[in-house]
Amino acid sequence: MRYSKIMLVMFIGVFFWAFMSPFAWADDAPGKLVMESIDRGLAVLKEPSLSGAEKVQERRQRLWEEISPVFNFEEMSKRALGVHWKKRSPEEKKEFVELFTDILKNTYIGKTDTYSGEKMEVLRERHDSSYAEVQAKLITNKGTEVSVNYHLVSNHGTWRIYDVVIEGVSLVNNYRSQFNSILLKSSYEELVQRIKEKK
Amino acid sequence: MKRSIIRGNQMRVSNLLTFLFLVTICLNGAFVWAESSSSGRSSETLGEGKDSVMDTNTKSEKIGPVDVEFEMTFNSIETASISDPIQPYNRSIFVFNDKAYYYVVKPMYKGYNKAVPEKARVGVRNFFSNIAMPVRFFNCLFQGEFKGAGTELARFVINTTFGVAGFSDPAKSLFHLEKQNRDFGQTLAKYKIGTGPFVEWPFIGPSSVRDTVGFVGDLALNPLTLLSFFAGPFVSTGVNSYDYMNEVSIDKGETYESITKPAIDPYIALQDAYIQNRIKRIKE
Repeated sequence: MRYSKIMLVMFIGVFFWAFMSPFAWADDAPGKLVMESIDRGLAVLKEPSLSGAEKVQERRQRLWEEISPVFNFEEMSKRALGVHWKKRSPEEKKEFVELFTDILKNTYIGKTDTYSGEKMEVLRERHDSSYAEVQAKLITNKGTEVSVNYHLVSNHGTWRIYDVVIEGVSLVNNYRSQFNSILLKSSYEELVQRIKEKK
Repeated sequence: MKRSIIRGNQMRVSNLLTFLFLVTICLNGAFVWAESSSSGRSSETLGEGKDSVMDTNTKSEKIGPVDVEFEMTFNSIETASISDPIQPYNRSIFVFNDKAYYYVVKPMYKGYNKAVPEKARVGVRNFFSNIAMPVRFFNCLFQGEFKGAGTELARFVINTTFGVAGFSDPAKSLFHLEKQNRDFGQTLAKYKIGTGPFVEWPFIGPSSVRDTVGFVGDLALNPLTLLSFFAGPFVSTGVNSYDYMNEVSIDKGETYESITKPAIDPYIALQDAYIQNRIKRIKE
């Protein structure tokens, strides 16, 4: 009785899977995109010809070339500025995107120098037609697990990452808090000046 | 005569251990059963699960548009923020902590790292974490997480016996019993107690009024605190700072640097990271 019920459920499952898969998996893109980007990044970090302290700049450059196309830096800048984005002129917006991209590049690419065999696992993803969240975890070589969630936005079917949330801390929200706090007391020009000094 | 007393004690200890061991096995059996029955349920609904792929739209709407509409409005900026009426004072403590980290704590742990291999340091972390089991156990109970409390009890028994006084963590590696990170701050949050203003404490770092009360509550539940009654405050402080430094040496120091270094305003960056992380942990 129970056995036949399981068989029925399995049959239905297979039936649905076989017929639905071309549609259901066609927009499976976000998870796959994140997975592939991580793999490409790790491949650069693991490459023997690029290892060692003297190859740091070359390795960082290669990594940047592999990883940066997956991010939507304009979307990130927009969200980091929040309500202040709308008040900016097109030139200011362009300059801000460049500055913000540079901060992210310099700080986060540099962090990969100490890579020592950490592993990434993609756990699950949820998405609708325009937004997606890919949940992953980083396993350090000390055995600690760090939750990493990627938020993606689709632009005519192309998925790009606009936020990375590590242990509940959103990268974009973290910068927005900082920018907001600075803009409460000082002008936009001063903020830009502080970002430039940071470089 | 003396020998027989010792033997008697040993008998009692071994009886106790056997008892604890049996309790563990029973508890563990119960959890494995509970887990497999729930996963069994989910695998039976696999057929249904497939067609839920079709309506991912309805599900993911929660993260998609809501997220976005929210984030672009002013209100959402308030949601992750905290009142900070004593910011000038907090900022000065932050500067002090930052200097203390780079000039005192970091050089110390760098030396410690050279002397003690990483595996041993992780062992020390496990040891202290095992001793602090009552903190997690009672907070699980306070939060109504009875399964979590059982997991903590089972972990304690397994790790104290097989894990050699808690230095290794076989409960996780062999029995898949995850540590339940529950603290008194979360418990207070579950009882709808507000966060209160932000406070930066010397050496301890970012906190809120509620989490400070929570921190004191956890200290009261931590058996290490008893040490100050028996062995005196000096030993207790020594042990606590060793635990602290060991934590910093494994990853706390790295986390601190990765938050404050890329920041334009490190004080706000640390404050915001603290709040966002707390919100996530309270939700769990």
